[in-house]
This record gives sequence, structure tokens and C-alpha cells, in this order.
Amino acid sequence: MSDFLEILERSNTGEYITEENWDLDKVATTVRRLVKKYRLEWDRTQVVTDDPSLADAIYQAGYEMAAELGAYCRSTERIIAFSQAEIDQGIINTPQTLVMGEGKDFRTLYARCLGDERPPLFFGGPPGNPIPQPIFQPNVVSYVQEPLIDLATCGTLTEVDGFPVRTGHPMEIVATRRELQYVHAALNQVGRPGMGMLGAQSSVSELGNLAASQPRYLRPCDSHVVPMLNELKMDNRNFSRVVNSLDYGMINASLPCVIVGGLGGGPPGSAVVNVASFLVANITCRAHYHLLHPIHVRHVATSTREVLWVISVVGQAFSRNAPSIIVADIYPKSGTGTLELLYETAANAIVNAVTASHLEGCGSADGRLPNCSGLEARLMAEVALASHRMHMTLKEANLWVLKLLPLYEHIFTQEGGNPGLPFDQVYDVSSIQPLKSWQQMYEQVKAELQGMGLAL
Amino acid sequence: MTDNELIAQITQAVMDGEAGIASETTRLALEAGLDPLSILNDGLMAGADEVGKRFESGEFFLPELMLAGRALKAAMEVLNPSLVGKNLTNGSRGGGRVVIATVQTDIHDIGKNIVASMLTAAGYTVTDLGVDVPLKTIVDKAEEVGAQVIAISALLTTSMPYMKDLVGLLLGRGLRQKYIVLVGGASVTEAWARDIGADGTARNAAKAVTLVRELLKTA
Repeated sequence: MSDFLEILERSNTGEYITEENWDLDKVATTVRRLVKKYRLEWDRTQVVTDDPSLADAIYQAGYEMAAELGAYCRSTERIIAFSQAEIDQGIINTPQTLVMGEGKDFRTLYARCLGDERPPLFFGGPPGNPIPQPIFQPNVVSYVQEPLIDLATCGTLTEVDGFPVRTGHPMEIVATRRELQYVHAALNQVGRPGMGMLGAQSSVSELGNLAASQPRYLRPCDSHVVPMLNELKMDNRNFSRVVNSLDYGMINASLPCVIVGGLGGGPPGSAVVNVASFLVANITCRAHYHLLHPIHVRHVATSTREVLWVISVVGQAFSRNAPSIIVADIYPKSGTGTLELLYETAANAIVNAVTASHLEGCGSADGRLPNCSGLEARLMAEVALASHRMHMTLKEANLWVLKLLPLYEHIFTQEGGNPGLPFDQVYDVSSIQPLKSWQQMYEQVKAELQGMGLAL
Repeated sequence: MTDNELIAQITQAVMDGEAGIASETTRLALEAGLDPLSILNDGLMAGADEVGKRFESGEFFLPELMLAGRALKAAMEVLNPSLVGKNLTNGSRGGGRVVIATVQTDIHDIGKNIVASMLTAAGYTVTDLGVDVPLKTIVDKAEEVGAQVIAISALLTTSMPYMKDLVGLLLGRGLRQKYIVLVGGASVTEAWARDIGADGTARNAAKAVTLVRELLKTA
């Protein structure tokens, strides 16, 4: 703990800089210079690049950025600088295996490598989607009842017992604890009580997170999110999550949601920022594993060409240079009850699995609506495992994605997106089984994928 | 340098996000006797418009937008004294004050920053209060700067209720009719805006600028 407190103290004593100057004069300027220095470019037709020198250059640029800039504390408006030795020690300290869950239901996450013989693991759930209280538990069950799902996550409660949940308000404590009660009840319901989870999604400030750090809610074998703010920023709220979990013993999942088209500029710069963020998160978030979740500046979704490229190159960069446990989120644009959701999920699953990540999903409908279900998570796992069984190469993965993109790319310019239907209109919430129409869509897409040559 | 060349240089400086060049060239243009309104509309705003278009088309990214906003601000500091007394009506270029913030408990600012930059680029005087801003601070600042528009953002569904509370605070203080209240964020819908008594929302930054322009015209 004391070495972390020393890092924390730097947020009080480091160089002062306004946030705007951090964003523009530090982050944006440094990225531009590094993109030029390493001649980083992307190609819309090479969504999964098979150029190892590109992945290595992205890594080197990200490493240079982390060592040069460090992190920014928004609460104190100061820079938290790191020495190169500290960045290196952070890499050395990165767990190569990590046990989550307990009893018969435990799983061991591991740092994947390209072409790994071991299959990826799957977190099932809609991370952060707002789910109405009456269908919260059935929604969780729809994921954790799937045999291929290894670990649980869930949506958020925005109302409890008819009262709206406000962040930073006592209701956040109520919502976070209630959420975790529902998740535990769902795990018991399906006979997998020891399944590990990424929980406390209803805790947006530190309040719910701290209140849930008890074995009745988040167990030490579970993980919680330690977000980084865009870009390379922390604040006292998120530091509070870290000091609490260091003492309690919980697993930290870093979450820098790098915005592709944001301060990093285009995909190459955003990939550099993502690499730097993970390296910084080793120190500032004490990350046991990293959530790889770049988002598109306009479309949000992880299934856009630009974001898929970033996911694929960051996964490769770490696999080749600093193996780490990376879990790549799937946040499709489309919601349940649409064919496009299944195509988006398939493309994302192939990219994430082949480029050395574990998978989490799906935050369907951009994570904005309760339009999500366990059925697309089943497809996510099936497609990822198929690509693993087929020993799919990077080049082959790229061809697959290029075949899938035309099946859904139109929805990014569609007015209103492609939200589909809420969970309770695609599942029977009593039996917690997909309704016929949704099941048929799943079977149709699965058959199409098989017809295209995927060994499902 | 001809007048047209000076104007073109001002436009280019905004597009390049070069604050020093933008303010210096604006000073030179004023010294050369160019009409301040022409410097504003044909020089600065033309550059800002182009940056906005390129951002919307995906050619430019957030840093270009923010740097252009910074260049515009620097040039406006030089130009503002010469604009006193000129006919800058609300809703036209160079008119209208907006207070913008991400509401209390929410720390997401990229969407808000984009809207703030686009509004600045469109000629509005924008006071950006940052993130996690208490409702009272937003209202007090709007009163202090004489804003016509209060624009609030929330990405988090569980921070959205504070938008409703802000409208309630304005009503409680008898100020609701004084302001156009706009709400924005990934989960904010037109129905939500209507339900909480706000004046509108927009799906993206370009539409937000159009909405502000339209609402100020009819205010």
C-alpha cells in the first residue's frame, strides 16, 4: 500500500497544469509527434493488420508516451510523473494468470498470446446497460445460464423500488448493493454461485463501490472497474476505488475508454493512447487486468472499422511486447431483435479472440438501453471459440471482418441507430428463454456464418 | 498584403489552430483598416465553419476542433473592442452567451467539449464550467455572465435526474423563463428533454449549434 500512497502523493505535489493544456499541449501534441515519428498509418481494408512491425511501433510509441507524460490528476490539476523504471516495473508486476470466482465455478484468466492454444474466456453481461429493476435478475440469468459463459457482469439499476438513482447520492449505495444481490441470486438460480464477476456497475462515483466491498456483495475473488478518464487522467474518486480495493483485496480492472477520433486523433494515435493508458494503469489503477474498450467519437460502437482496428492492434502490441490479461469489450450499435446485432457481435468476437484478448459482452444498443440478452453473448462465445478451433490467422480474421462489415455498416448512418427491442420483448422472462422470433434470427445468422465457412 | 490575403490568412490560422498567428493577423487587419465585421465573418468564422465541417466529415478530430476554438478566442480578444456598437444580434454570428457544463456527479466531458468548441466556432460566447458542476454554480454563472442559454450534459443515466433538478432550481428561483435550457448526452432523448421541461436536445454537436441558433432567433 505504501508505494501506492507515494504515487497518490504525487497528485498533490506534481507540476500544475490546466486540464485544457494537458489535453492539447501534452496529450494531443505528443500523439501527433509520435504518430509522425513512427510513421503510423492505418488502412480501412486491413481492419486486422498482420504487420508485426506496425503492432511493435504502436507499442513503442505508447511506451514513449506513458514515460514522457505520466498521468494527470483532474482533482488537483497536477501531473503524476513516472520514471521509465516505474513503467517497466509496472509491466513486470502485471499478473500473467488470475483466478476469479471460487469453488467449482472459478476460472483462471491468463495473458493470451497470438495463436494461443488455450481458448479465450468470456464475461457474459451487458456492462452498464440500464436495466429496469423488474427484469434485472432475469436479464443476468439469461447470460450466466449460458454454458460457454465463464464470468459474470451486468447492467445498471437506474431506479430502485420506484425511486430514481442519482450518482453520488445515497441511492447509489442502494442501487449498487441491490444490483449485486440480484447477480448473486442469479448465480444461485443457475447453480453457479462461485462464478467470478465484474460487478458494481451501478456505482459510478466511488460511493457505491466502497459500499459494496463486502463479501455479501463483491467478494475478494470478484473484480470491479477502476476507470481512467479521457485521456490518461485519474481523479480522487477513482483513486479511492484503488486504495479501498488494495486493502480489501479485490481485483482491479482498469478501464480507459479511449475515444477514437478524440484527443488521440485517428485510429493510429488512438491506439498509441490506449497502449499508454494500459501502461499507466498498471501503476495508477493497480490493474490486475485491463478492459480494452476504445469507443468511436461519433458512433460509440466497438464494431466500427476504426475501433476494430484499434482493438486488433493494441491486443497484438501487448501480446508481442508486454503480455497482459486483456479483456476486450463488445459494444455493438444494434440492439436485441435485430440481425445486425448478431453480425456486429460476430465481427467483434473474431477480432477480439484472434488478437489475444478475452471477451466481454455484449453492451448491445451502445449500452444505452435494456435491449440486450444472453443470446448474443452465446453467439459471441461460439464465434470466438470457432475462430480459435480453426486456428484463424490474422489475415483470415481480416477477411472474415471484411465479409461481415457490409452486413451491418449501414446502421452507423441510420437516423436513430438500430436499437431493436428491450429484453422483455425478445425473451420470455418467466422461462428466461429467447422468444421464437429472436431465436430464429440467431439461428439464421449462425447458419449464414456456417455457410461462409465458420466452424460453429 | 492585400485585404483579401489578410482575411485568408486569418481563416487559415483558425483552421490550423494557431492562436498566436490568428491574434497577430487580426491585429494587423485592424491596423490596415479592415472592417471588424468582415474580419469576424469572412476571416475568423469562415475558418471556424470549415473546421466544423471537416470535423463532421471525419477529416478533423477533436484536437483540431479544440485548437481552432483556442485560436478563435485569442483573435476575439483582439477584435472585441472594435466590435463594440456593431450590430451583433442574438443568434447571428458573434452574438449570444452560453453557459455549458456537465452536471454534478458526471465527469464525462468529450461530448460537452465538442459542443462548446462548435458553439465557440459559430460565434457564441461560451462559458464552459467543466465537469461535475453543482447546479447552483451553473445557475449563478448564467446570471453573472448574462447568458441566454444554459446547456447541460450528462452521459450517465444516473446523472440525468440532475438535469430535471436544474430546471426545478430555475423554476424555484423564478428564472425559468429567462433561459433557454438545452440538455445533451448519449442517453438523452427528445422525450426526456420534453418530460423534464427543457427546451430541446440535439443528437450531435452540429445539430446543437443549429438548435441554439433557431431558439435564439425565436426567443
